[in-house]
Amino acid sequence: MDMNLAIYLEGVSTIYEGERRPAIKDVSLSIKRGEFVYVVGPNASGKTTLLETINGLLPLYKGRVFVLGYNIQTHGRKVRREVGYVPQDFMVDPGEPYTALDVVLMGRYGNLGILRSPKEEDLEKAMETMRLMGIDDQAKKPIGKLSGGQQQKVMIARALAKEPKILLMDEPFSNLDPESRERIPELIERLHEERGLTTIIVTHDVRRISGLCRRVIVMGGGKIVADGKPEDALALLERPLSPVFIRGA
Amino acid sequence: MWLELAFIQRAIIACILSGFLTGLIGVFVVRMRLSAIGYSMSHGAFAGAALGVAISINPLLTALLFSAATALLIGPVADKARLPPDLITSIAFPLNMALAFVFLTLSPEVGLSSEVASVLWGSIVSMTNEDLLWLTILFSSTLALIGLFWKELFAIMFDRKMAEADGINTKPFLYFIIFLIGLVITFALKLVGGILIFALLFNPSSSALQYLQDMRKIIVASPILGALSCLSGLIASIYLDLPVGSCIVLFSTLIFAISVLFSPKRRRKEVKP
Repeated sequence: MDMNLAIYLEGVSTIYEGERRPAIKDVSLSIKRGEFVYVVGPNASGKTTLLETINGLLPLYKGRVFVLGYNIQTHGRKVRREVGYVPQDFMVDPGEPYTALDVVLMGRYGNLGILRSPKEEDLEKAMETMRLMGIDDQAKKPIGKLSGGQQQKVMIARALAKEPKILLMDEPFSNLDPESRERIPELIERLHEERGLTTIIVTHDVRRISGLCRRVIVMGGGKIVADGKPEDALALLERPLSPVFIRGA
Repeated sequence: MWLELAFIQRAIIACILSGFLTGLIGVFVVRMRLSAIGYSMSHGAFAGAALGVAISINPLLTALLFSAATALLIGPVADKARLPPDLITSIAFPLNMALAFVFLTLSPEVGLSSEVASVLWGSIVSMTNEDLLWLTILFSSTLALIGLFWKELFAIMFDRKMAEADGINTKPFLYFIIFLIGLVITFALKLVGGILIFALLFNPSSSALQYLQDMRKIIVASPILGALSCLSGLIASIYLDLPVGSCIVLFSTLIFAISVLFSPKRRRKEVKP
């Protein structure tokens, strides 16, 4: 396998428990280290499933997935320690007994390993990412008391606190206020370049696709229906009712 | 003075230790959404203890075996068979209750013997020194293990999927907690009996969760509330000559009701139109 690849999927199908039809089917995909990729497509097109399959959070029904050269089925945990994951619409109950800082610090737990407690350095790293997100003043507040946008920033900070090699973000800007919708994507782009990350962002909002992005993957019906330059992919998206989105390519 | 009696002293120590343990483990039961599992396992222990009485061997041992079997059925077996734990729980609960009543009917003594009654309602005053020793070992090892794996358990209690996404192997911790639930239920069976034991798993932790918004405080407050419920229940039962188990459950329910009434979560701001 080409070691320059960050992510490699070969004929991958994933089925959710209790479902009969695969959420993604026969997906093959290669993403080089350092690429900045957007994944777009209508609801239920398989975007979230694709991210969770790459992260090894869903069992494979068919195919192979390699991340950073490791087979996700045999080295899933090792891979996940190198992947920062921001889930879609992660909202907690107002009475949730965890502070924002607790949640961000958890991002470092996997890499600390078993029987080791977070040190001062981990706390500093968590606070640093909260500062980057502009939520350091909310660190001691219960996460459930924060607004939807602030909770979303907490989850982004948690993913960044891990100091990952790959960043997988599922609709990460959907709940942000207008000012943050400008600032946070710019910050992610800056970190992508500074830290040499491989970044994949799932979005509905194609206006967010930035100048740094050289590749857009369009999904429909659980398949990749287009994969190429942003302008080509976006042209396809202007025809959202195309049958290709419903049944896949 | 009743406090000078050795069996009462043993009962007080057992009350504090068992109440503390059920309150502690209850936090994991509630936060990891294992209520149905805890409910099933407590009845598994009940059925096991009933079998022990029926075949005249130590009910503690058979309770432990049944509780562990229920834990295995709900945990790894359900996982392998790809059956949702809720479905297994729905089958395990009536099965365990049916078995318990069959075993109690088959017990050698006719009628409600003291052993049968202790399985049903608990018998804290029959605690032996050996029981206390086992309870102390369980108490110390539970505290030590939870302390060692606190970081992982803390993250899993927040969100299991996110903990897994951060590279934590969540399955062994889930099974560890399920196994611990079984052990704690078995050892606390003498406190309130098989029918009421699950109340001690949920009431103290649910009370602490009503009032506090910091997991570190909840994990300290819930065991204290558990121990307090047990101690108050024991004292009330001595003074009022009522069953110990029932008094303990009534006190823990009273604490829950008070915490709901005065919970900061109930103090909602009025929303102006």
